[in-house]
Amino acid sequence: MKTPIVLLAGFSSLLFSFALNGPVRAAEDKPVVIAGVSRTEALRLGERMYREGILPSGGPMRAVVKGDIPVTGTAFTCLSCHLRSGLGSVEGGIVTPPTNGSYLYKPLRQLHKGIEISSAPVLRPAYTDASLADALRGGIDPSGRRLNEVMPRYLLQDNDMAILIFYLKSLSSQFSPGVSDTTLRFATVITDDVDPASRDAMIIPLEKFITYKNNQAAYYETRAGVRSARMAESMLLSPETAYKRLSLARWLLKGPPDTWRGQLEEYYRREPVFALLGGMAKNGWQPIHRFSEDNRIPCILPITDLPVISDTDWHTLYFSKGLYQEGEGAARYLNSIGAMVKGGPVLQLVRASREGRALSAGFQETWRGLGHQAPVTVTLRSGETATMDSLLKVLSGEKPSVVLLWDGPETLASLEAWASSGQRPEMVFVSSSYVGKGIWTLPDEARGFTYLTYPFRLPRDEERYTGAVESFMGMNKVQGDALIILKKVYSAVQVLSQALMDMKGNYYRDNLLDVIGTSMGAGGMDVAQDRTYPLYERFSLGPGQRYASKGCYIVQLTKGPGPELVKKSDWVIH
Amino acid sequence: MTRRTVSSLAILLLAAAFVFPGKGVCAAAGEKYKRTIENYVIPDVTLVNQDGVKVRLSRLMRSKEVIMVDFIYTTCTTICPVLSAGFANFQRRMGPGPGDVRLVSISIDPDNDTPKKMKEYLKRYDAKPGWDFLTGSREDIEKVTRALDAYTPNKMSHLPLALLHSPADSRWVRIYGLIGASDLVAEYERALGR
Ligand code: HEC
Repeated sequence: MKTPIVLLAGFSSLLFSFALNGPVRAAEDKPVVIAGVSRTEALRLGERMYREGILPSGGPMRAVVKGDIPVTGTAFTCLSCHLRSGLGSVEGGIVTPPTNGSYLYKPLRQLHKGIEISSAPVLRPAYTDASLADALRGGIDPSGRRLNEVMPRYLLQDNDMAILIFYLKSLSSQFSPGVSDTTLRFATVITDDVDPASRDAMIIPLEKFITYKNNQAAYYETRAGVRSARMAESMLLSPETAYKRLSLARWLLKGPPDTWRGQLEEYYRREPVFALLGGMAKNGWQPIHRFSEDNRIPCILPITDLPVISDTDWHTLYFSKGLYQEGEGAARYLNSIGAMVKGGPVLQLVRASREGRALSAGFQETWRGLGHQAPVTVTLRSGETATMDSLLKVLSGEKPSVVLLWDGPETLASLEAWASSGQRPEMVFVSSSYVGKGIWTLPDEARGFTYLTYPFRLPRDEERYTGAVESFMGMNKVQGDALIILKKVYSAVQVLSQALMDMKGNYYRDNLLDVIGTSMGAGGMDVAQDRTYPLYERFSLGPGQRYASKGCYIVQLTKGPGPELVKKSDWVIH
Repeated sequence: MTRRTVSSLAILLLAAAFVFPGKGVCAAAGEKYKRTIENYVIPDVTLVNQDGVKVRLSRLMRSKEVIMVDFIYTTCTTICPVLSAGFANFQRRMGPGPGDVRLVSISIDPDNDTPKKMKEYLKRYDAKPGWDFLTGSREDIEKVTRALDAYTPNKMSHLPLALLHSPADSRWVRIYGLIGASDLVAEYERALGR
């Protein structure tokens, strides 16, 4: 009766290493109406039960976990354990099996090396609607086995149960668009505000990687490649993954951003893709983000300083929150040093640009969240330089001790003016990303009071990654911005390669995002994982996390020629 | 047993668990989790709670109340939902008021778990005052998890643990394995020496 609650991962992978190699149609019959509602409505309501724990009536679902702990759907839902794709998870030695129809409505057999053999013993017979309802309510599976009490027992009326079961049957039941027997299709989105050099720095290595993957697959099919193919197959739970070709289309977007959506829809209509990979836009990712979100298309690590900041959106996975995150870093740093700014108010000077606004939003939202008063904010219109005179005018003589100067290359003129005027704030924060290369020529007199938000590993520590990235990508002597882009492309293809293995042939878009969330989830405390990625000091995700790098440094420049950066903070500041 | 009876019995049991939260319906047997007595030295670190307030851990742990500690993170699957449901339910059973127990959840994903996210998490579990969620620098969290023998470098393979400390005893009760509601109450009573 009593099952031990802590299963060992080794044992469990034996038990549950089923392969869902193809979409198996689970629905035995096709009723038009489910529990009194249309099929579409039933899917919507079922999805809400599964993901949000809300009953069709609008009330919370109720269950009992671990035998005697009552819980409601507001705390956690099926998704918390079985994940969004319904293909399950492993955490802390507890295996959560899949719960999609094609897995449940089929006998579960023991597998041999990931391959299902029809003579293998049946571990559990196929579920029926009735036995599934029994399992969800009473925790007994069709073989009579009592399920681990970590799986909650749900209190569900018949109609609600029918809707949930209908949803489970539809869940991960047919491969997502962009998947064929031979090919997995991707596209990379590039907007025409990106300069040609940057565009090439992104697209050339990305296409190179696709070619490399496909050559590898082709090699496995030659006589000479058979041995390597066997090795690849035995490493991949889904052998055909080794042979699948990848295709990558260029989706170039032209003209004003409000026309991008139409262009994207048209590209997609002509050739549906499984996911978007990499990509680049200068003036913000928002329209592409919305396209992905509305059409449920994953987008893996696009290159942008202006991502969408959201706690709930699911489909786009970003390197970081970009400039917003630098503003956030400045706020956290100020808070941590207790700079409760004796002198005057905290002042933000914000260039009227997307970049300026992102930095300022990151600072302001974080600063207020930490319990401080909103900073005084002054907008700099184009051509305008912030002088001390103009500051004092704004503040009616009160001297600000901290100024956040969210401005581009023009920042330097302000800093120089303050340095020579003798009248200056104690600390001035600027964004190294927004100011750009000019920061290295900042006059000595300004270095003492200028603090930079710096979103990368410091140059000296980063050096050793460059060679490894270049050699993997088959490039050399890449420099400056192109090197940063190359390193981002490298990270994107690493994440994708790992995910393709972890998906085990289950080509569902949500599974792609689920496996990235769980396999990149090592980084919380894991120095080793961080060290496998270039550019960012720490790089990790967890289920549902959407910004891989979560920190930045606050640095200063040393005095004299050939300045170096000196850390004033930790990577993540609490 | 026929199918019908299985499911209707289950409904009865479930309903009972809601109606009488004070009484464990199917009280779990003792062997379901591993209970050991440990000596831990709490490192002197300062963490941050869900309200952004700095908390000196060693002082918190010396409190006059019973302390219960677990290790979770806000986006965790399977284990944390069950641990947190256990804490939430424990608070409900203790009734209103601060009582003589403090619940402390320590994040093992400190980079992602900001005070804001931790606050939202506690809200999802309907947490009441007396349940704090702490985060901090990776170095400090590592010190704490190592000191409490809860360290795993990979947050995805983290341990289903609950630690109990009563002011009457310098030692800790270590509970390894996900524990049911009645068992948790029993352990608490035992820690209090009742
Ligand atoms: C707290 C984590 C958790 C939640 C929440 C959860 N499950 Fe599970 N579920 C599990 C675990 C763990 C198992 C494996 C139990 C076992 O095999 O002993 C499981 C098993 C199952 C099974 C049996 C699979 C089989 O092969 O027999 C089904 C069906 C299922 N869950 C469906 C659901 C549905 C539907 C929901 C939401 C209404 C849900 N679960 C919520 C953890 C969870």
